[in-house]
Amino acid sequence: MSEPAVAQAEVDRGGFADLVREHQAMVFSIAYHFLHDRTLAEEVAQDVFLQLHRALPALKSAEHVTFWLRRTTSHRSIDYARRRRVRQVSLEEAPELSTAPDPGDPMLARRLRRLVASLPEKPRLVVTLRYQEGLEPDEIARVLAMPVRTVKSHLQRSLAILRDKASRYLRMESYEPL
Amino acid sequence: MSRFEDLLREALRREEPPAGFAGRVMVRMGAAPEKMSRWQAVRRAFEAPRLRWAGAVGLCVLLVGVGLQVHRERETRAEGELAKERLVLALQIAGSKLGLAQAKVLEMSGGRSQ
Repeated sequence: MSEPAVAQAEVDRGGFADLVREHQAMVFSIAYHFLHDRTLAEEVAQDVFLQLHRALPALKSAEHVTFWLRRTTSHRSIDYARRRRVRQVSLEEAPELSTAPDPGDPMLARRLRRLVASLPEKPRLVVTLRYQEGLEPDEIARVLAMPVRTVKSHLQRSLAILRDKASRYLRMESYEPL
Repeated sequence: MSRFEDLLREALRREEPPAGFAGRVMVRMGAAPEKMSRWQAVRRAFEAPRLRWAGAVGLCVLLVGVGLQVHRERETRAEGELAKERLVLALQIAGSKLGLAQAKVLEMSGGRSQ
């Protein structure tokens, strides 16, 4: 969306609905991959868009809107998890996988999402922004307002943990190297 | 990029929210009172024609009231100034009288000593 369109969306309800449709998958997915609960993720995403409607006059461009949405959704998700004491997923809760994993396998994807959801807050967001949004470490650092070094270390450690857990839990030894 | 990272990317790909999401946001947006500054709220309130007229009448009444108040204050100030001038004049007269009396006293006491 161009700059005039961003400004127009502030006064135009139809324009704002288009803006919501354009970004809803991004916002909903960040919240969902963080909270691991579709109902809560929708609640967070709705709150974020209501907040966006108020903040829109201050946002200068489409890139600014995207950046703002990523940052606000990340912060809102953390707040929500803390306020509602969202239960963190534990590895033991997931049932065993009996078949050999395939990259397009929905079971494998679900299992990996559960593993991501078992990470602590900040690493979980870093991993989500890296692999859902495809952001580089410096972009993640700007969104989450943390040093690039911290982002890289979260990424490295999270990947090691996830790879290890996935290998053990999914019995993917034959799938090495992950 | 390792194979595991590809799997992660696949698992964490964007998902659409449940159907009708944008509609629900718009409904909540319509239901939620819009947050606006005081100035915006005043401007928004005066967008209604009746309120605009009422505001104009109110403004006229306010201006007349302020004008009357200013007029009254000017009158009071003018009266004060007049009273001040009179007081100064009275003090000047009293002062000159006192000066005369003092001169008389000095003159009399000088005549006695000689």
